[in-house]
Amino acid sequence: MEMDEERTRSPTNTNNKNRIISWPEIQQEFSHHQPSIARLNNGSFGCCPSSVLAAHHSFQLRFLRHPDAFHLHVLPSALLRSRTILARLINADHVDQISLIDNATTAAALVLQHISRLPRNDAASASFVVVVLDCAFQAVKKSLHAYVARAGGSVVEIHLPFPVRSHRQIIAEFRKGLERAKSLNGGKIRLAIIDHITSMPSVLIPVRELVEICREEGVEQVFVDAAHALGTVPIDVKEIGADFYVSNLHKWFFCPPSVAVLYCRESNNNVPMPIESSLFLWTGTSRDYSAQLVVPAVMEFVNRFEGGIEGIMKRNHDNVVEMGKMLANSWGTILGSPPHMCASMIMVGLPSRLCITTDDHASRLRTHLRECFGVEVPIYYDPATARDDDGESRAARDEDGGVITAYARISHQIYNTVDDYHKFRDAINQLVKDGKFCKMLSTEGAKV
Amino acid sequence: MASSPHNGHGHGHDQNHLELNGDTTKAHPASKKPRLSLSLSSSSSSFITESEIRSEFSHHDPGIARINNGSFGCCPSSVIEAQREWQMRFLAQPDAFYLNELKKGILQSRTIITDLINADHVDEVSIVDNATTAAAIVLQQMAWGFTDGKFHRGDAVLMLHYAYGSVKKSIEAYVTRAGGHVIEVPLPFPVKSGEEIITEFKKALERGKANGRRIRLAVIDHVTSMPCVVIPVKELVKICREEGVEQVFIDAAHGIGCTDVDMEEIGADYYASNLHKWFFCPPSIALLYCRKSSKLSDLHHPVVSHEYGNGLAIESAWIGTRDYSPQLVVPSVVEFVNRFEGGIEGIKKRNHEQVVKMGKMLAKAWETNLGCPPEMCASMIMIGLPACLGISCEKDTTNLRTHLREKFGVEVPIYYRIPKNGETGSITGYARISHQVYNKEDDYVKLRNAVNKLVSDGFTCTLLSQ
Repeated sequence: MEMDEERTRSPTNTNNKNRIISWPEIQQEFSHHQPSIARLNNGSFGCCPSSVLAAHHSFQLRFLRHPDAFHLHVLPSALLRSRTILARLINADHVDQISLIDNATTAAALVLQHISRLPRNDAASASFVVVVLDCAFQAVKKSLHAYVARAGGSVVEIHLPFPVRSHRQIIAEFRKGLERAKSLNGGKIRLAIIDHITSMPSVLIPVRELVEICREEGVEQVFVDAAHALGTVPIDVKEIGADFYVSNLHKWFFCPPSVAVLYCRESNNNVPMPIESSLFLWTGTSRDYSAQLVVPAVMEFVNRFEGGIEGIMKRNHDNVVEMGKMLANSWGTILGSPPHMCASMIMVGLPSRLCITTDDHASRLRTHLRECFGVEVPIYYDPATARDDDGESRAARDEDGGVITAYARISHQIYNTVDDYHKFRDAINQLVKDGKFCKMLSTEGAKV
Repeated sequence: MASSPHNGHGHGHDQNHLELNGDTTKAHPASKKPRLSLSLSSSSSSFITESEIRSEFSHHDPGIARINNGSFGCCPSSVIEAQREWQMRFLAQPDAFYLNELKKGILQSRTIITDLINADHVDEVSIVDNATTAAAIVLQQMAWGFTDGKFHRGDAVLMLHYAYGSVKKSIEAYVTRAGGHVIEVPLPFPVKSGEEIITEFKKALERGKANGRRIRLAVIDHVTSMPCVVIPVKELVKICREEGVEQVFIDAAHGIGCTDVDMEEIGADYYASNLHKWFFCPPSIALLYCRKSSKLSDLHHPVVSHEYGNGLAIESAWIGTRDYSPQLVVPSVVEFVNRFEGGIEGIKKRNHEQVVKMGKMLAKAWETNLGCPPEMCASMIMIGLPACLGISCEKDTTNLRTHLREKFGVEVPIYYRIPKNGETGSITGYARISHQVYNKEDDYVKLRNAVNKLVSDGFTCTLLSQ
């Protein structure tokens, strides 16, 4: 991997002030990471470099020093600064469309509560329909239960194929799913929730096309859950065309926990449960805003890299694909999606000989990898592979001819090294060599 | 004039004990349950000293007389340090932290709080961000009651006129919009006794029950914010029970560390208290107590995670990735308060005594009056500002407050009291002073002199609104 060399090339226009950050400096920025762990799971909890942490602490101390003055003189302009930068980054028309919230989970609850309280347009229909991908984040699904089902709405899940080879597959399934949903409620779908990058299994979805299809099919509003997007893919909310768009900043945009950006195309002030109001009622003003205020410090940080955030995104993508292929080759398995359908994470098939046939096996394997091999990586068990189509399972097979029932989701972020992935490669190879089946892995020491 | 430290033993609170091991199954005697212990640190038998207190709050702006603990609270250095440690532990290996440490840490905090507030069981205690979030949780349940048809259109929710702004908005959003009727209890201010409040409350209950309406919920402040008065909640809860009010929610933003917070004594269904105002936690953390009853399962955190349906306390302990460190430092706060004589009870007592003493000093110096008798205040008190300052609207209070901050280095919130019909030359402005362990007599002298100077200079608020 030529990470080190790329980083030390001479500065480009985005870096006119300083030279490019060096590898020792990057290590220093993440010196608080536990050194013995191969941290291949940036996707779950993200990371935050020391220089941004310092900015975070600085804001916290300024508040503690004189909180009244902070709320009056520092907070409003600092919030506006963060929102303005984010508006530009995602190509929103106006900073008024940008809200800062805790995380994508909060956004889902806000949007779902909001649309569940809207008046029923169609007097004849007793219900309303919301469409979601079947691999949507668990919190979103629960939110659907808490707000939509509770208010008498119906939820239709659209199954997306995995492993996946092309956008065409996703689009075809999505169309079919919409048809099915429309048949439920006289053709009216109140909301579609589409992930920009699904979580488990992780796939980069062609959201712009799917939003367009939604509009064609008369879906009233579209909410794009892009928890992983900011810092992994370029975002243009106008092009994507959704009504609501949320992305976490603490996953891939170097902010401390926690902060997310919620984009709302229209102000919805004149409707029941407007989002801004709900947000205020749920959170109040008595809170620690400092994570929301460090966006300028993050920009300073990313601009120390060649190509700024775009450069980081590109290199993360190239590296995670390279590492994914390396692992798949070593294990005799496959990638869950082609390179153009992943960003900074990729799914790598695990050898069938590990015999992962339940969620519990996947969980044990993850714990075992963490505690015995010092590798942190989430494991996905694909329940669809349990279906036995008369022996003609459409699931992928590995070089041993066994069905690939599980995938590891590897991430790549700027602090990762080739060694991290070698450690993982060797761990799995060791387990296979030792004939370790996942149901044999003990949960002792797993303090879950 | 910080909390007086003692170098010595003999503090006679021996029956107190701290249970950090999560034992919450004790049977309670009828009398008051033992409070948190003292002298946890085995190394020293002396209490915290003046200079140690100063050191703990050395991050406060030294140029400001900080007499507004009520708005944003405070957090000592040792607790800030504990918070950092929790933050760094998460950042070092977040997956392991989430899986192995977070739930344990939150449970430990909840267990301590359960003990602190004399709740029956830790299941009754959830930790949320602040009292506003707590109100949204309780009121959302009300909204479902209306939409589900359990409550009837026009059923009432009762609140105090001086309820906090965001709570009023919540009531409007969740109750009014859902078809409920809102009754406001007017409160006199200045107030002379708890009786005045009880009288108004009873009258409002009558109004609420008119036309056969049911009162589904009473929202009562334990300590109102502006103007600041301690409400006789125990009596009001009793009256609510007698008059068939279905549920009672006490909004105690200024609760723990400020007033006496005893769930058994108070007897409400729900009780919310911030911990970052008067209990030395960093922003932000609050407790929401929900008495064990069938309605407990109806309560949900508005932010839904995969823990939905596992009970409010579990739901609140995971609402997506965020910084939970303010919720994890409760044990460190207990360590801190136990360095003071009498622990948190001692701190409360001395804060009360000092704020009353300073309030009287100011009222005397300005020839005005206190907003309420000493027994109706906790760690804050309202003092009338000289009428000649000409406070005649809300804007004047913010302008004056800014003026005091910028020209005199005094931080104190001002309340505008609308004069009653026919009143002339009355006191229309009240300063709300707080006392916390870091305050000194000098802070209040600064305020006294500032106002005296304004008066002698012939200052009026109209000068500021130009």
